[in-house]
Amino acid sequence: MFEIRTWRARIALQVLITVLVLPYLFPLIVMVKGSLAGQGLHNFSAVLAVPGFARFFVNSIIIAVSVIALVYVVTMMAAFGFAKLHIRFREVYFWLLLACLTLPEVVLLAPLFSTALRLGLYDTYWAVILPLAALQVPFAVLLTRNFLNGLPNELFEAARVDGANSFRGLIYLVIPLTRPIAAAVIIFTLIAAWNDYLMPLVFLQTPDMQTITLVPQYFVGEFSNDQTKILASAVITAIPEVVAYLSLQRLFERGLSAGAIK
Amino acid sequence: MTETSIPQHAPRTGRIDTVGGGDRAGRRHQRRPPGLPWILPALILSVGLIYYSIGYTGYISTLDWDGISPGPRSVGTGNYTRIFQDPVFWDAVWHTAVFFAVTFVVQTLLGLIFAVLLHTKVKLATVYKVIIFIPVVLAPAIMAPVFRHMFAPDGELNSLLHAVGLGSLAQPWIGQTSTALPVIMFITVWEWTGVTFVLYYAAMTQTDPSVIEAAKIDGAGNLRTLVSIIWPDMRGTTLALAILGAIGALKTFDVPYLVTIGGPNYATEFLGTYIYRMTIPLDHVGYGAALSVILLVLALIMALVLQLGGGREGKAGR
Repeated sequence: MFEIRTWRARIALQVLITVLVLPYLFPLIVMVKGSLAGQGLHNFSAVLAVPGFARFFVNSIIIAVSVIALVYVVTMMAAFGFAKLHIRFREVYFWLLLACLTLPEVVLLAPLFSTALRLGLYDTYWAVILPLAALQVPFAVLLTRNFLNGLPNELFEAARVDGANSFRGLIYLVIPLTRPIAAAVIIFTLIAAWNDYLMPLVFLQTPDMQTITLVPQYFVGEFSNDQTKILASAVITAIPEVVAYLSLQRLFERGLSAGAIK
Repeated sequence: MTETSIPQHAPRTGRIDTVGGGDRAGRRHQRRPPGLPWILPALILSVGLIYYSIGYTGYISTLDWDGISPGPRSVGTGNYTRIFQDPVFWDAVWHTAVFFAVTFVVQTLLGLIFAVLLHTKVKLATVYKVIIFIPVVLAPAIMAPVFRHMFAPDGELNSLLHAVGLGSLAQPWIGQTSTALPVIMFITVWEWTGVTFVLYYAAMTQTDPSVIEAAKIDGAGNLRTLVSIIWPDMRGTTLALAILGAIGALKTFDVPYLVTIGGPNYATEFLGTYIYRMTIPLDHVGYGAALSVILLVLALIMALVLQLGGGREGKAGR
């Protein structure tokens, strides 16, 4: 797109981008270097030896998978309904949903806290799963509905004429056809659930229930503020995310920037 | 109509007949099966939970309550009048505004520069892209201790400054009011440039190549092509990023809470951290709820303003 002809200009640009990228690399270097300071690799074995360390990962996986499953099912159904079925006052419902897009999660804090206490959901996975899913659904529906709108109505009518009811339409048409957009939905839901800090902080009290985003704090207590161990725990918790991103680069880039694509 | 004229032949056969007939186009809409049951789960989950919470927040915001004890005292709009006289609230609003303005401009500029540079066929493009995008994937909560370490008085940043002979610039970055907010901004830009970059990188390929070709023939250089042709063409992307950034600024919680705890001396207090502080550690649940309502109103106004302002431009741009 931009043609650079001279040798000198090429080298200059290469140097420029290298310099610009250094501040992005620096914190990552600090993280890895800090985790190896002092006792070196022993920091990692000390962190891994903490009883219950794996529990944080298990909890994060349970929560992320449940949120994804809930968001996926609910979104596919709703997007199908909005795009291809008959609903009176359809746009009213849609706008009710879209208004939730701008909601900062901290607004849910007080009401959900007292409601969770009253319903006995405090310190259970549900107290985190339900609000996280509720916050992801509006955007997921918006994306998937737009995608389904682009598919020809005749496809769905033909299936209906052939005797397929709406349920079969969902299973045999919507789910296979929406794969590309579903991948984006799953990725941004995964990152939102996996990286969320506020909901687990407020609703998960016992260490047995807590997620990986609460690990650094837990370790501040566990290792009486030994920075190297805390950084080692940060590296260990970051590894799965980096590996997942590196193996699915395209999907992650598309999924995470979907927020700005209409 | 068919049903009234042939009452015995119940609806089913009647319907199949009309499909065989010719008036398909006219009745297509009515014949679509009902969709309400399909959208109900989403509505119950999202609209139900969220609107319930908002309504409840609205109610709590009129109370003087610690969140647990029975018989909270109603104070009407008392919490709101107190908020408007609360200097920390105004500080938080001011920080949010400055934070948005600075991070948006810096991030847009950097994202744009990276997108342009990676379109010039530099070597190792994938490596640069991965380095810029990894921060997007990492949880801010996990990176927080890293940044606390990095910006500490004896941290890596100050060692680096000493090493390159700029030791006089070394300072307690997160411990003083003048630099704490810029540190939070740096972390946010670090985290989100990847998204800006990916979007601009993709948007740049959308401009019609023949237009660029024509400009080049007319003697426009690379910079001129970018400023006069590609940049205006990407208006929709910039606008979407502005909306995301504005709402993100209002939502800011993790980074200031974990890196600077809103301090020192409230220098990095945001609405999110202030609501949390009031609601959970300080048990002023009513006051926190009133702050939440104000935050929600601000978020809606922001989205509406940007959406209305941008709706027309977006269409013109395409």
